[in-house]
Amino acid sequence: MERKKKPFKLNMTYYVLIAFSLIQIIFGLTQDTPKEIILGLQSILSNPDTLVSDYIGVGGIGASFVNSGLLTLMFLFMLYKMKHRAHGVTIAGILTISGFALFGKNLLNVWFVVFGVYLYSRYQKDNFSKYLVVALFGTALAPVATEIIFSSLLPYHLSIPLGILSGILMGFILPALATSMLNFHQGFNLYNIGFTSGLVGTVYVSILRSYGFVPEPRFIWTTGNNFKFSIFLTILFLGLIVFGVYTRDRKLSEFKNIFKYSGRLITDYVKLEGLPFTLINMGLAGLLSLAYILIIGGDLNGPTIGGIYTIVGFAAFGKTPKTILPIFLGVSIGALTKTWGINEPAIQLAALFGTALAPIAGEFGSIYGILAAFVHSSVVLNVGFLHGGMNLYNNGFAAGIVAGFLLPIFEAFRKDED
Amino acid sequence: MKHKRKRVMKIIDEITNFLFFIGSKKISIDYEENDEGFLITLEGNYKKEKIKEIYNLVKYLSYEKEEEMEEYYWELSGNYDMDTELTLVGMMTDDAKVYYDDEKVTIFLVRYK
Repeated sequence: MERKKKPFKLNMTYYVLIAFSLIQIIFGLTQDTPKEIILGLQSILSNPDTLVSDYIGVGGIGASFVNSGLLTLMFLFMLYKMKHRAHGVTIAGILTISGFALFGKNLLNVWFVVFGVYLYSRYQKDNFSKYLVVALFGTALAPVATEIIFSSLLPYHLSIPLGILSGILMGFILPALATSMLNFHQGFNLYNIGFTSGLVGTVYVSILRSYGFVPEPRFIWTTGNNFKFSIFLTILFLGLIVFGVYTRDRKLSEFKNIFKYSGRLITDYVKLEGLPFTLINMGLAGLLSLAYILIIGGDLNGPTIGGIYTIVGFAAFGKTPKTILPIFLGVSIGALTKTWGINEPAIQLAALFGTALAPIAGEFGSIYGILAAFVHSSVVLNVGFLHGGMNLYNNGFAAGIVAGFLLPIFEAFRKDED
Repeated sequence: MKHKRKRVMKIIDEITNFLFFIGSKKISIDYEENDEGFLITLEGNYKKEKIKEIYNLVKYLSYEKEEEMEEYYWELSGNYDMDTELTLVGMMTDDAKVYYDDEKVTIFLVRYK
């Protein structure tokens, strides 16, 4: 098969993501007055962003969703200018940004890391476009800059340059580390940058702590908006399903093909099964995640909607309802036997972001997925301290540890074909 | 670009892994590097019931080269023996041809420098 590179053009994946961004902005604009949104954005941009900073509590619903939509559009514009061909990994990266723009990533703090990745590409005499995927996911370390910039321990003439330099440094070292870390979990942790950022954050915070700088703990978590967000998210996810069904070019019965893949990195459903079936998968995964939060009596807010968006994004790049359900079950079973409740904030996040381990269920079976999630819910509660909340993908860090730990054990007890 | 030859080695590992997966008992590998790039040919026999895997191989190797995917994920190629990363091989190569008959399959890969 002779492969000729097709000329670049905006494809349907771009249009879907642009529409998603605009829906975020429009929803935000309907929630607060323009003045409230501007003041809210001001508040979001001028506060530290370490875990857990629910932007709905910091700046209001309107500002949070406008921040999410605008930031998503900016990244889409960057991808377009770099002639990136959008497919499954793009959806995963972009929706991860949209989701975390409700609790940690904002119009200001992400660019230092992106610029650091850009500098790395120049240092390697490579085109920046080769590092776009790392740059997208690498914004997990966005709080590194703002934690220092808005620290009460340093005067601004020191904290601003130090914060900016720290953010750039994180981006600069991330590409080399991220690739190498894949070897540890063999692609069974979908949030590999989370694992990498966890290690980077741990080393970085250890150095900071040895100079007496202790990241200030934050816990902003809003409640009481479940009805409003349930309606919005249900319409959004049903919209994805209907659009997928309407634009499909194959029989609907072939949709089940999407369940035959393990989901291990890299499983790009847009490439493998096409965008329409991927959108249906995304919508179903979104509805299942939403149902889970409502059934356990959880809260729909910035962090949990961020978790749901991340699941929906990765339903284009490795997750299906079939492989995320065992993760929900594993975390739930853990909550029944351990010392915490199923709807405590950290456990809600452990279930949603623990779906990074979905490929374990896909490759080894549901029981193994449940077991991995059971372990994950304990590990994730112990690793946040290491990086002081500066790695937004804390569950990705824990999932990397869990996958790397369990994989050799699962393999040892699996029956070989021959 | 770092690790130019190691990346080629990973591609060979991945295809070798695939040949094991379809039941190859005899595999031959031909490798050539010239000023333009790397030419890789792998040939092996296969179990007839695995023919569907060869159809999948043809599909996966038809994917366009994608440097941003390669730059991040290339370390995964050839690493895991229970599953394959053939789409990644497609994204790491500029040209691919697959020939097969009832007994053996031959895979030609080209990766430009």
